[in-house]
Amino acid sequence: MTDIRLSHIDLKDRRFSLSYPLHDATLRWSIATVGIIQPVILLDRTPYVPIAGWRRLDCARALGMKTVPALVVDMNERNALLIAIHDNLARGCNIIEKAAILDKMVSFGFPREDIFDLMENLNLNRHEKVLSGFLAIARLDMPARDFIFTKNVSFRNIDSLLRFEEKERKKIVSSLGSFHLTESTLREILEMLHLLKIRKGTITGRDMPALPNADALRTHLKERTHPILSGLHRKLKAIRDAMALPPGMDIRVDPFFEKEYIDIIVKIGDEEDIVATLGRISELAEKGYVRSILELTKGRIR
Amino acid sequence: MSLQKVEFVDTHGSVVRKCPGTKRHICCGYQTIDLVEGCVLSCSYCILKAYLKDDVIRISRNSDAIIAELDEIIDGCGDHILRFGTGELSDSLAIDRRYGLNRFLVEYFGRKKKAILELKSKWADFRHLEPFLNPCTVISFSVSPQRFIDAEETRTSPLRKRLKAARLAQDRGCFVGLHFDPVVIYDGFEKDYRYLIADIGRILDPAKIIWISLGTLRFPPPLYGLLLERRRKYLLTGEFIRGEDGKYRYIKTERIRIYRMLYRLLKSIDSNLFVYLCMERADVWREALGIEMKDNESLMGLFDERIKNVYGGTL
Repeated sequence: MTDIRLSHIDLKDRRFSLSYPLHDATLRWSIATVGIIQPVILLDRTPYVPIAGWRRLDCARALGMKTVPALVVDMNERNALLIAIHDNLARGCNIIEKAAILDKMVSFGFPREDIFDLMENLNLNRHEKVLSGFLAIARLDMPARDFIFTKNVSFRNIDSLLRFEEKERKKIVSSLGSFHLTESTLREILEMLHLLKIRKGTITGRDMPALPNADALRTHLKERTHPILSGLHRKLKAIRDAMALPPGMDIRVDPFFEKEYIDIIVKIGDEEDIVATLGRISELAEKGYVRSILELTKGRIR
Repeated sequence: MSLQKVEFVDTHGSVVRKCPGTKRHICCGYQTIDLVEGCVLSCSYCILKAYLKDDVIRISRNSDAIIAELDEIIDGCGDHILRFGTGELSDSLAIDRRYGLNRFLVEYFGRKKKAILELKSKWADFRHLEPFLNPCTVISFSVSPQRFIDAEETRTSPLRKRLKAARLAQDRGCFVGLHFDPVVIYDGFEKDYRYLIADIGRILDPAKIIWISLGTLRFPPPLYGLLLERRRKYLLTGEFIRGEDGKYRYIKTERIRIYRMLYRLLKSIDSNLFVYLCMERADVWREALGIEMKDNESLMGLFDERIKNVYGGTL
């Protein structure tokens, strides 16, 4: 181990860089407190090329350190990449790092068998389709990779995202970036966007206007992909508003207006409540509200 | 026609099954003979993609066991005239010329004279079966506008050939069935169906059409993702909801609109045509066709009546 001047290390040469994201506030605090405990590994070139320890080097640079403890090794590039990979494996890799590992193995010309063996150790199925999915992730632009990382997007949703053209994907990532998204909400939004794309050929700004949250976007998209269903919901809401149901009473309608019947739910505290509720239900029926709702569920109104 | 692997298998257990039906939808009580599993036609919307584990075509070689099973079911049923088909997990005719799969069934039903065998297909070739045909075999074709066939049923026979084959079957003394299933919403589908039904009226003898089914596109959830992935524009134009059975289907108002239109067009060919809905709800029957269809038993009763009428009580 030796101390190497930071200025003698080429931090722009990222051929072995796998860590994502590079910035790590905790590690920076730790290094600021006790220094770099574990030496970085550098390839013996002029200038030196970092193999492992990218986060430590990033912290050192940010903290203005002049030197870092390092192990300097001389080996071919493929072996250097293996060192970089195995140095990262122990701590566990996120999806972006796994993609970077596989992408680099492919570009360094590793045989498919070696790549598949490693995929197993990354808890991935050794399958060409899985590999090509990860290679596509590795080639995504920074905002898309950030989105996948920060939202902890599942592989299924990533796959769905990858099926959009780059321009569309940029629009989606920028629209959804600030939203709190659950896995199922994101899936639903992406499905609806795919549906619109298939029907219209492309996604435009009108499909994804600036909206305050994911629910608002989901409702907006639903209006576009399911205009009849959305119309029925609007009509139902208008009827409900006019009915002004008392507390303790609710009318439940199948969300897809498929069931021809409705459920009337009442909360009863004593016998007098029953009489009052029945009176209220009769009143609503006489005013035609119940019939109007049933017209919606029987498919008579669009 | 296909490079799919074909395997002959010894099936264990029952091969003849009641159509599974679907929750809260009226089923016609059809019985399926699962002689073949898998299909070479590979239509883009085929639900077999979601149900079968691979694309191997598996052919059951237990013909004696199948006959014994059919005997038991037919002889044990006194309530209805049973209808059987081999087109549930495959296409009845697509590989039949090559493998001669249906002949023993055609001959069996001809001898039995107590039930009906329906060979349901999108493949317009049954000439190899001609010498064995008898009135107990119904030759049926799924029909769709040619524009849709070109887009989504690319390996099947064109509509013109299917209708010509249906006419040939009628001329050979068979009744034919027509299945408007799946009916699919796409831009201009209404006009295409008007032409299609006009062609049917021109080419076929309505008196020898035993039944016509109408069923709009429906499929299990795994297929929805596949259709999105494969960008099937024709199949994704309409507005889908999840039915009570969990399957995707068009929203009810659209289904009613489509059935009304098709029913009216078909009845304009011949008011005596027997038209039924495949897997629909009682309220859709009422709204679209004006028929009060209480349950499966009611529909099976209508089929019994229809068969008695057209066969003159010989079954």
